[in-house]
Amino acid sequence: MSTQPKQVRGPVRIVLVDDHRMFRTGVRSELAEEAGAAIEIVGEAPDVEAAVKVIRETRPDVVLLDVHLPGGTGKGGADVINGCYGVETEAGAPVRFLALSVSDAAEDVIAVIRAGARGYVTKTITARDLGTAVRRVADGDAVFSPRLAGFVLDAFGAAAGEIAEVDEELDRLSAREREVMRLIARGYQYKEVAKELFISVKTVETHVSSVLRKLQLSSRHELTAWAMGRRLV
Amino acid sequence: MPTPYERVASPADLPAPGRPPLTRPVAGRWVGGVCAGIAEHLDVSLRRVHLLFVVLAILGPGIPIYLFLWAVTPSSDTGGERRDPGALRAVTGLGESRWGMFVAAGGLLVLVGAVVGLQLAGVDVRAGVLLPLLLIAVGVTVAWSHLDDAERTKWLGTQQQDRGMLWLRLGLGTVVAVIGILVLTIRGGSLAEMGDALLATLAVLMGAALIAAPWVVRLWRDYREEQEVAARANERADIAAHLHDSVLQTLALIQRRSHDPASVTQLARAQERELRSWLYAGPAGSDETLASAVTAAAHDVEDHSGIVIDLVVTGDRPLEEHGTALARALREAMLNATRHGRPPVTAYVEIGPTGVEAYVRDRGEGFELDDIPEDRLGVRASILGRMERHGGTARVRRREDGTEVELTLPPLEGDD
Repeated sequence: MSTQPKQVRGPVRIVLVDDHRMFRTGVRSELAEEAGAAIEIVGEAPDVEAAVKVIRETRPDVVLLDVHLPGGTGKGGADVINGCYGVETEAGAPVRFLALSVSDAAEDVIAVIRAGARGYVTKTITARDLGTAVRRVADGDAVFSPRLAGFVLDAFGAAAGEIAEVDEELDRLSAREREVMRLIARGYQYKEVAKELFISVKTVETHVSSVLRKLQLSSRHELTAWAMGRRLV
Repeated sequence: MPTPYERVASPADLPAPGRPPLTRPVAGRWVGGVCAGIAEHLDVSLRRVHLLFVVLAILGPGIPIYLFLWAVTPSSDTGGERRDPGALRAVTGLGESRWGMFVAAGGLLVLVGAVVGLQLAGVDVRAGVLLPLLLIAVGVTVAWSHLDDAERTKWLGTQQQDRGMLWLRLGLGTVVAVIGILVLTIRGGSLAEMGDALLATLAVLMGAALIAAPWVVRLWRDYREEQEVAARANERADIAAHLHDSVLQTLALIQRRSHDPASVTQLARAQERELRSWLYAGPAGSDETLASAVTAAAHDVEDHSGIVIDLVVTGDRPLEEHGTALARALREAMLNATRHGRPPVTAYVEIGPTGVEAYVRDRGEGFELDDIPEDRLGVRASILGRMERHGGTARVRRREDGTEVELTLPPLEGDD
């Protein structure tokens, strides 16, 4: 059988971390229905301590991580990410985190993203979109909801016209990154963004990952002070 | 709807029918308002009460009784007319208290004069005892008047400059009373004896303070704790009442309509929004901005259609005529999307220095502008026409997957 090496990879192994059992059950059955054998749930945890333990034992590809969790030092999802620092999958890739939340409060979202999560989606997301987001994060790409994109535009001053002169600048978005963020905020899928800007999907993914890096590393005061004072609604 | 958490006025809050509570009225008081208060409370004529007190004062116990009642009876301005503290204080409070002071000082002088006069006239009224007693009474009065005022400032909001005044009064009163006590105890003694007595008094006072201190501190701490607990309980009751009126009602509705998924979604979404806005209430006066206007429009469409609209807004500006027009056109576009398109419906509004850009996107079959009959006013008049009248633009784009409406407005004049 001659298949491309990419498809040889087994199912995406994920761990569900959420303190609501009902929500875990719901996601489990939805993902089973939607993705079938492509996604395998290898563990569940209701709080920070149990999550760190399960993740260290199972070494999953992706952790679906609730932003608000009991236990730890009270920082919820961010505590789990910090507690799993350096854990790798069997294939040698880092364990990746996708934050899930009902709250759009900026400080919550920004806290998990800056702790190292690869993306953020709200709990109202459809099963199909969640499946796509999980696969994308497993591949090392970033996942932005329209709301997170809107927040990024605001926080980096891009909505007010601030544009980085060089791409490497951490405190501002480049013109291209701004365009990508605006289209995501408008509800475009990566594929549609690519078509709209006449670039490849891979390039869109690169731009989004670069924005995620800036979001994680930037010391722009808006990201710390601004996020605390104002809510992302 | 009453809730189990609602605070019911306790019997103590309600005035007993037929008998007003014993307070010292501000209006119509001569000295401290005690007589007027008693007259009102017992429903007898003021003159009779005055007469009784004068007789009692002449017989002896009148003045202590008066002082005692004055100290323990709350002034009625602390209870009844809390509403307008500034006016109250300015007009009646100060004026009356000054008037009262004149009367009190006059009365005191007459008393002292009488005692001294009688003593000089040869009648033995034991001035050596009476005068120090008077002194003590004055000191205690001055010190206790602090309590009265402290209570008043508590209701009226503490005023810093008054605080100093209160402490001064307390100190002065104590000093006067202590002098009175000293004079009483060392009647006719020498100055050296007076020094000794002063020392002894101080020692006793300090000893008493030392012994009482831990107890007083604990009492104070207990009091503060009690206050905090009460405040927390109040807050809890408020939250419980709110949840009861909103979330619990909605949950009950959802259970009853569980066979109708559309209305369940709609109810859940509306409740979510309501709860969010309650938890994360924006800064005051925020409802007069463009961002809040478009948010309100999106919520309105959600309520109409039962379809969730994913709205993202960046930036903000004050709401004016053009902004209102944009919010209305956006509302129309969102309504169209929920009617003719398929969810998810997304809307993005960017308010920046180069103007306003707004997009509404759905996933339906879409419609071409040219396909729309002339008589369909929806898109033509309420979206395109409206935007053009306000100096903006509107564009409808059919995409592979759904339709996108794009609205723009130029920046506000005076902005760069």
